[in-house]
Amino acid sequence: MNRHRTLGAAASAAIALALAGQAAAQSSAERAAEAAKQYAGTTLNVFYEAGLQPLDPKNFTGPMWEELTGIKINVIEAPLDEMFTKIMQAHRAGSGAYDVLNVVPNQMPDLAFAGVLEPLDEWVDQYGYRDELSTIAPVYRDNQMMVEGTTYGFPDDGDVLVLYYRRDLFEDPENMAEFKAKHGYDLGPPKTWQQFNEIGQFITDKYAPDIYGAGMLRQPGNAQYLFQERFRVEGGKFFDSETMEATINSEAGVKVFTEMVEANKFMPPGVEQWGFIEAFNAFLAGDIAMTISWPPVGRWAAGYGKGTEALAWIPETQVADKIGYALPPGGTPELAVGFSLAVASGSENKEAAYLFIQWMNSEEISLQRVQLPFALRDPFRDSHFTSEEYRSRWPNAGDYLDTLKAGSETGLLDLSLIQTDRYEEGIRQAISSLWAGDDPQEILDELAESWDALTERIGVERQKRAYLDWASKPNAYPN
Amino acid sequence: MSQSTSIGRALDDERAFKYLLIAPAVFVILLIGLYPFIKLILTSFQNITMFDDDRSFNGFIHYARLFGDDRLWESLLHTAAFTAAALPIEILLGYLLALLFLDPMPLKRLFVAVILLPTVISPIVAGSTWRLMFDHRFGPINQIIAFLAGEEVKLLWTVDPFLVWPAILVAEVWQWTPFMFLILLAALSNVDREQLESAQIDGASWLMTFRKIVLPAITPVLFVAVLIRALDLVRLFDVIWTMTGGGPGTRTETISIYAYQMAFREFEISYSSAIAFLVIFALTALVIFALRRVEIAR
Repeated sequence: MNRHRTLGAAASAAIALALAGQAAAQSSAERAAEAAKQYAGTTLNVFYEAGLQPLDPKNFTGPMWEELTGIKINVIEAPLDEMFTKIMQAHRAGSGAYDVLNVVPNQMPDLAFAGVLEPLDEWVDQYGYRDELSTIAPVYRDNQMMVEGTTYGFPDDGDVLVLYYRRDLFEDPENMAEFKAKHGYDLGPPKTWQQFNEIGQFITDKYAPDIYGAGMLRQPGNAQYLFQERFRVEGGKFFDSETMEATINSEAGVKVFTEMVEANKFMPPGVEQWGFIEAFNAFLAGDIAMTISWPPVGRWAAGYGKGTEALAWIPETQVADKIGYALPPGGTPELAVGFSLAVASGSENKEAAYLFIQWMNSEEISLQRVQLPFALRDPFRDSHFTSEEYRSRWPNAGDYLDTLKAGSETGLLDLSLIQTDRYEEGIRQAISSLWAGDDPQEILDELAESWDALTERIGVERQKRAYLDWASKPNAYPN
Repeated sequence: MSQSTSIGRALDDERAFKYLLIAPAVFVILLIGLYPFIKLILTSFQNITMFDDDRSFNGFIHYARLFGDDRLWESLLHTAAFTAAALPIEILLGYLLALLFLDPMPLKRLFVAVILLPTVISPIVAGSTWRLMFDHRFGPINQIIAFLAGEEVKLLWTVDPFLVWPAILVAEVWQWTPFMFLILLAALSNVDREQLESAQIDGASWLMTFRKIVLPAITPVLFVAVLIRALDLVRLFDVIWTMTGGGPGTRTETISIYAYQMAFREFEISYSSAIAFLVIFALTALVIFALRRVEIAR
């Protein structure tokens, strides 16, 4: 009997070892999919930014996940500037409307403190995902994942604002000679905002109305990121770290606002209304020589994704073999927006939701997702930047990925405070007033006043702690 | 004595039965109408924000804040000014259109139906459509102006502070003039023809006929139409939200947009309740005053 028992125990141990070995051999994506099979038949409500972003879960990961696990994916969309509101409303109402959330990282502290997000660390350890989290590019991993030491989201989108320019114009010998004679330095990607203005004006003077020197994101929702970046590049600080009084109306702020208005003069008429779509349309059409925008513009301008049904609305690029990639003036691009995948605390399917985001975010699946021509996810893992497959997608895809990687190293974080969205709303309104012709100093004084009132209501000491925590991060201000 | 008592009891029973019959309807109305109102007032005395769920009595802090909130008073001013501008235009255009359709004409019903189309469109759709119409690059408005001017024009209708209100006004008047037209057409159709003919025979001028015969006849209907539209304009949200979002800056922010921003963008729930109460109070006072003036309440 004892002998039988010993043999039985040995057999059990052998089976357990074999299973453990098999589990160790599994990738984190496989582990997540395997574990999720117990939830077959359920539906996960996944909250995404409206537009192209949700084409990933709708057309790619959603069907794949359903085939692997039997879990359906239902995508719910909202415009970027309404995402925070919708998430908070759903949480306040206790509706359990969402299982998986796309969270804008600088809003993550607000959402975590409000109890909207589910802590993920236990699942990360249970499903062996810790190692793969460490291979996310440092700037995203260190700043877009945790709040006060707890993991609330997986950085999933390497957003960074990159300068795209027309190499054919910049490398034209006649242009180069004329420019050097006029300004005394070589025509090339601008290193400072003064150079940007001079190059933009030079090209407009020579080619407009066929080609303008630049066309920028000017709609307040987009332009606020350019302002945040340039304000810091010019030496501006958002707050006095001692008193917590807003210093957005400092000399740097007024200089940036004034120059933004001035720069519009060498851009196409009506640029004040340009958003992401207008700017990339103009760049792809060859109407502008420079623009600063999110990474998809660089891919589409190179012709990547041409013929894809979901991108049929994008005009055919006229500049496919003429694009250059560089960091914006100052060399510290804004890591504007970005997305982290999170689990809603009000979800009734939290574990299934977690397993879905681990699977999506894994090395294996994320590499496929960032190469989807129709979705907007941008490289965010070290392996994405170095992927041979990705680097061979178009002739200078390597330059593109190197630029994104460089941007991820020096990039500036979006301002993140308690109730960030309210501070950002102030910037958006200020920019809107700027385009209406108001005086930059008056606009920024008013903005500073409204920020101070808000800080007062939130609590100066409380907000100061949040600000100093954010400001102490290496990518909060240029080094 | 006993007979009168029994009659009185019968009347009481009858009255009680009537009350019993209408009680469910009254209860539903109170539940739908009164409960949110009481909840709103209670919330306005609490301090519920994004992070604080303080439901204790906080006194009049939010009402005190209303007085020092410049943005609130600006938004009220925008609302009042826009109402004052849009309402007369809608009345005038509606009246002129109604006059046009007063006499029999071929395909009258078809034309009336076509004119009424804008009113059945959702204001969100109307606002989005007009935003596209006023787009500086692809919108037909700029193209038409450019054609007439003989040169390219780049009018930024939703950015330029001098153009943004006229653009909103066009969209609003386009959508709601047909409502005025329909009401006034019905009212004008009921004006006594014999009186009009008598006035004409007596040689009364157009203005005299309008003042002495037409206006008194249509006033009750016109008053109701004006009241409905004025309340709509005070609550104006959708068209402006889709066209400008309240911008540039806060230049086209109406009281409804400001209240929405406070409640659902900034999560100042208690403060936005105080704003809502202020608006309800002001509108109620306005409606009571108007009803008394016209004595239509009778």
